[in-house]
Amino acid sequence: MPLCDYSCGSADHRLSRRAFLGAAGASAVLGRDVFAGPATGELSRAQKRVLVIFLAGGVSQLETWDPKPGTETGGPFAAIPTSVPGTHICELLPLTAKRMHRLALVRSLNSTSDDHGIGEKIMLTGRKPEAGIEYPHIGAVAAKLLGTADQVMPGHIAIFPRGSGSGKQDATFLGAKYASVPVADGRPPADLLRPAGLSEETDRQREELRRKLTDKFAKSRRSAATEAYAESFTQAERVFRRADVFDIAKESLKTAERYGRHDFGRHLLLARRLLESGVSYVKVSHSNYDTHHENFDFHIEQLGEFDRPFAALLDDLSDRGMLDSTLVVVMSEMGRTPKINDRYGRDHWSKAWSVALGGCGIHGGAVVGKTNATGTAVVDREVSAGHLFHTYLQAVGLNSTKNFYPNDRPVPIADPKAEPIAEILV
Amino acid sequence: MPPSSPPIDPTATRVRAEFKHNSPLIGCRFDPSGRFLFATAQDNTIQRFDLLTGAKVSLLGHQSWVRGLAFLPLRASAVAEVAAAEMFRVASPAVVGTGPAVGSAPRPHPIKMISADYSGRLMWWSAAATIPTPIRTVQSHAGWARAVAVSPDGKLVASCGNDQDVKLWRAMDGSQVRVLEGHTSHVYNVAFHPDGTHLASADLKGVVKDWDLTTGACVRELDAKILHKYDPSFMADIGGARGIAFAPDGRLACCGITNVSNAFAGVGNPAVVVFDWKSGKATSLKPKDAFQGTAWGVDFHPAGYVIAAGGGSGGRIWFWKGEEPTSIHTVTVPANARDLALHPAGDQLAVAGGNGSAIVYALQPTGVK
Amino acid sequence: MTSWSCFVVAVVATLSPPSSARAGESLHARIDGLIAAGYPDYPKQAAPVADDDEFLRRIYLDLNGTIPTADEARAFFADPSPTKRMAVVDQLLDSPGYARRMAQFLDVTLMERRNDSKVPRAAWEEYLRGSVGRNVAYDAFVRELLSADGADPKTRPAAKFFLDRDLEPNLATRDLSRVFLGRNLQCAQCHDHPSVADYKQADYYGILAFLNRSFLFPNAAAPNAVIAEKADGDVNFVSVFDKAKKQAATGPRIPGGNPLDEPTLAKGKEYKTAPAKDVKPVPAYSRRKRLAAAITSADNPAFARTAVNRLWAMMLGRGLVHPVDWDHPGNPPSHPALLDLLAAEFVGHGYDVKWLLRAIALSQTYQRRSEAPAGLTEIPPDRYLVAILKPLPAESLAFAICQATGQTALERTALGAKATEPAVDARLAATVAQFRAKFGGRPGEPDDGTVTTLDQTLFLKNGNLVRGLTLPRIGNLADRLAKLPDSQAADELFLSVLTRRPTDDERKDVVAAVTGGANRPAAFGELVWALVASAEFRFNH
Repeated sequence: MPLCDYSCGSADHRLSRRAFLGAAGASAVLGRDVFAGPATGELSRAQKRVLVIFLAGGVSQLETWDPKPGTETGGPFAAIPTSVPGTHICELLPLTAKRMHRLALVRSLNSTSDDHGIGEKIMLTGRKPEAGIEYPHIGAVAAKLLGTADQVMPGHIAIFPRGSGSGKQDATFLGAKYASVPVADGRPPADLLRPAGLSEETDRQREELRRKLTDKFAKSRRSAATEAYAESFTQAERVFRRADVFDIAKESLKTAERYGRHDFGRHLLLARRLLESGVSYVKVSHSNYDTHHENFDFHIEQLGEFDRPFAALLDDLSDRGMLDSTLVVVMSEMGRTPKINDRYGRDHWSKAWSVALGGCGIHGGAVVGKTNATGTAVVDREVSAGHLFHTYLQAVGLNSTKNFYPNDRPVPIADPKAEPIAEILV
Repeated sequence: MPPSSPPIDPTATRVRAEFKHNSPLIGCRFDPSGRFLFATAQDNTIQRFDLLTGAKVSLLGHQSWVRGLAFLPLRASAVAEVAAAEMFRVASPAVVGTGPAVGSAPRPHPIKMISADYSGRLMWWSAAATIPTPIRTVQSHAGWARAVAVSPDGKLVASCGNDQDVKLWRAMDGSQVRVLEGHTSHVYNVAFHPDGTHLASADLKGVVKDWDLTTGACVRELDAKILHKYDPSFMADIGGARGIAFAPDGRLACCGITNVSNAFAGVGNPAVVVFDWKSGKATSLKPKDAFQGTAWGVDFHPAGYVIAAGGGSGGRIWFWKGEEPTSIHTVTVPANARDLALHPAGDQLAVAGGNGSAIVYALQPTGVK
Repeated sequence: MTSWSCFVVAVVATLSPPSSARAGESLHARIDGLIAAGYPDYPKQAAPVADDDEFLRRIYLDLNGTIPTADEARAFFADPSPTKRMAVVDQLLDSPGYARRMAQFLDVTLMERRNDSKVPRAAWEEYLRGSVGRNVAYDAFVRELLSADGADPKTRPAAKFFLDRDLEPNLATRDLSRVFLGRNLQCAQCHDHPSVADYKQADYYGILAFLNRSFLFPNAAAPNAVIAEKADGDVNFVSVFDKAKKQAATGPRIPGGNPLDEPTLAKGKEYKTAPAKDVKPVPAYSRRKRLAAAITSADNPAFARTAVNRLWAMMLGRGLVHPVDWDHPGNPPSHPALLDLLAAEFVGHGYDVKWLLRAIALSQTYQRRSEAPAGLTEIPPDRYLVAILKPLPAESLAFAICQATGQTALERTALGAKATEPAVDARLAATVAQFRAKFGGRPGEPDDGTVTTLDQTLFLKNGNLVRGLTLPRIGNLADRLAKLPDSQAADELFLSVLTRRPTDDERKDVVAAVTGGANRPAAFGELVWALVASAEFRFNH
């Protein structure tokens, strides 16, 4: 019998459906946590972090957090009990179910857009798009407000399944310093390593001259821009010295196994290493849930990949004492229609769906909001993406009602029309 | 199956009966006596439609969707009763809908049916009872049990599912005989060879395994990989033999979707792969007219046809004749045809509609027979 | 330099307040007068005018988007003429490099790094270079942009402003007001601006009314879409602050102006070509066609005011109105009289961009040193006491690196007799594109290049492209340096990359770095890199 969390158990998922970067071999040789990441003590107790797991394409709330078994919209899956008495989730998440006491569920989200791009923007900015102003994503906001002056690593990292995505549009007026550093397929940032043929000593020498010239130039021309430019070389050097953080081959085979030896498992394990190294915000995208066709088969496949590493991550964060200071959010750009179409698909749906969050500042086990028996409408405590955005910030100890001042104009950090969801905040 | 196959005319295919249910249908099968059409639905029920009377009965017991249906063969003593029922059926007017019984229909012959659901359960039924209830429930697979089949001698039941296993059970008592391990993806379908010595199973990746039932060994693999695609843009697999059938001469057919360009919108074309059992040589059958979707059911008609049904936007029934790889006739059906059943008499077939309608089509023009 | 400072003092003494009596005085002198009047004891407090090296590098980057070669620098330094700065300004304004540089500036100003979905980049750049090269008057240029409908292949590039905004009316309204009127009316979409009394909701919808009947035909997704228009459609709006939800209406109107007189057409006469399936309608009366004239009209002072402010910001690193799209009474210009003067002179000189840039370039205000004078600790940036550092735009950074490392010269040599400036630029286009991708701003946002990101620095530090340019290759800078005696090589290195001669210390550093090493050319390659990666190179100073 193959390893089987729910039922997928595909050997490919266990082994090398999408190549494992040769990490299996490397770890097998090392066979131990040689570089198990920085000791937790390295992290300031006060430092808060945010991890967003973005289930791209629009995950079905009915196959995850708000199952409706035995109804016309429920689909074939059962709801299973969880570690929180009275709370049931879909059987596709058996390992997550055992850790439900660490998570709060919001089952009454109306995010208002059934469009992928707009929905993603709404969920990540906590606002409906407005012509003329681009709001920063939660990642940039977290990087700016949670970052420390002396941090080694970039504040905002986005892990994508493959070479997609650029950080250029997600910091908007907060400035590119807070834009995501894209980590495509979990590989380190481009050009991180010293070029071939450049020795450490030569590099040191050329850096010394560069620094000398820059110092001389900036001495009587000091400005934020020159300082940021000078600082960026220091940061590049620091990140280069921590290139090992990006190398999950440094984790033991056992750890890799716990996260699942497929892309998403690798990416989530990398996310943990990045959070440990002091990155304020990490987003991991898992693709893809846009199941207009055969929703159920595809949710078995994708959630089969999601459940195991997600459970391993919650365990690791908890075991390492990081869960109290790390907010974990599982979101998507929208949910999926309760109505099952004639190709066994579910279509785009924003009116009544769910988000799970846990860790820092979150009341584990709480369930907020309710949909009707078939999941077609919110019947209690409707919230918007704005409410969630406030909640994320408050959870990590930030005052979400303050303003940013781009060009000296006040712009509320979070949508002033919304407020935090108090019931799930500790 | 009657000893001589009836002549059919695909171009004369016409609706003989339409049975409506208030939940989308998933699978359908005629019982071996030819009296009933059983159809499974998204409300976890199995619907029994009486072809003679139009009566509809719900079989309750499953807690999840059912797609697999299989029947034990009729006892020899049943043949006379079946023949009587068959004469009555042929003489009866077409029934449309689920109206009251027409005339006084003969009592149905007892039928043993086994169903497989997406919680991994097999259920045994006395399916001709007035209100059938499950006789036996067996937890067979972790995750979905996708299909079930009964051996020609009626002694063995085979099931398969998402735990990547094929399992053999005693038909009599539901006890487990053997687990056939070796598939590396969801097993979508299973069928016994007509001679009863081998079993074929087909998985998501289009790998068809030939199992020797005496040893339980997989003796070879056949290649139906055109029925699988890993869609890199959605990072997901699509495929599987959605339907499977053996011909009396041993040819094996698997059907599904091929040429997938977008798994999550179901953009691809229906296809049937037919294997010569001896040589393992595969021929793929395609619809003549361009169509996007999946072939969900396939069967061999004794008059020399391969028939498949399926759908994407709307539904179709395709007919292939002889060695011709391109279909010779297409029937448009009102909704996605999620399964195909060929009547044991060979003169009609049924499709299970995504709109909740099971439609029985006669394969001959009015007045024949 | 002392004489320059004295001159400034003299001007200040006689130039308060400015008046038309000064009309005979050159514009650059009047600029300096008004700037000096804006700060107590300005002549003593301000940094002196820059030396030749700093000036030359700055003017090359601002007017040609690249740095001078070592030969050009040497020639300029050696030139004893008192009017050599004027001569080099004129020379740069007349060179093909000016067209390229202004095309780049206009591109970023107008399109803000949006994707090129309907007008390809090459066609757009060629169009801009052509307009700049012919020194088309700015008002005429803008009229062309706002009138083209994209149907005629010859003028299609001009329609990019609308086409590559998908003619989304709110986006187009916002950007028309930002780019051409200096006002970010964004907030006025939903209500009168809460903090800017001058930004009215009716202003926003007045602009929108020029466009609300227009749409892309056949549809916004088509790469070959053109602008079409209907004959009907009115603009109504309700303030979100208005509890009564009273609806207001407006016809086309430029903020501060009067509503347009519009013809009333008889029923059935609304169209030249009536709408039908797959037919592009042509209305008898086009609202959109009146937009260009209305915006560029002399009755709309915001147009010239915004243009000169943006050109000033390009040269000086900061607008007189700052930010450049935030012009309203609550955010007055740092030097109101200067802004008025520049706008009036610009209009008076037929919207001649070249003429205006020349005047700015010749001012001492432009030519000040970027180093803060000793003792000046608090430097208010809006007083222009010291030249403001400007990060090189992505394209200028690319061209400057190619120039510094000798790549441009190599391409020129390779082209031989065919080495025109456009031909050389074409050979560098792929390199420029890589820099644009890394250093260009975010699509749809002002690209001021002021923020450094990790990926940019890694690109400079470790990337193959920059490494390939700096390491020795036959004929490039590192290769040439390796063949020179140490001391001469140091001079050549600094002149080529930083447009100045090295200090004694720097000369020693160069000698030390290349002495004793096994690979002299490689050692020079690393030196070239160190200079290219320094802040002195990254910022126009």
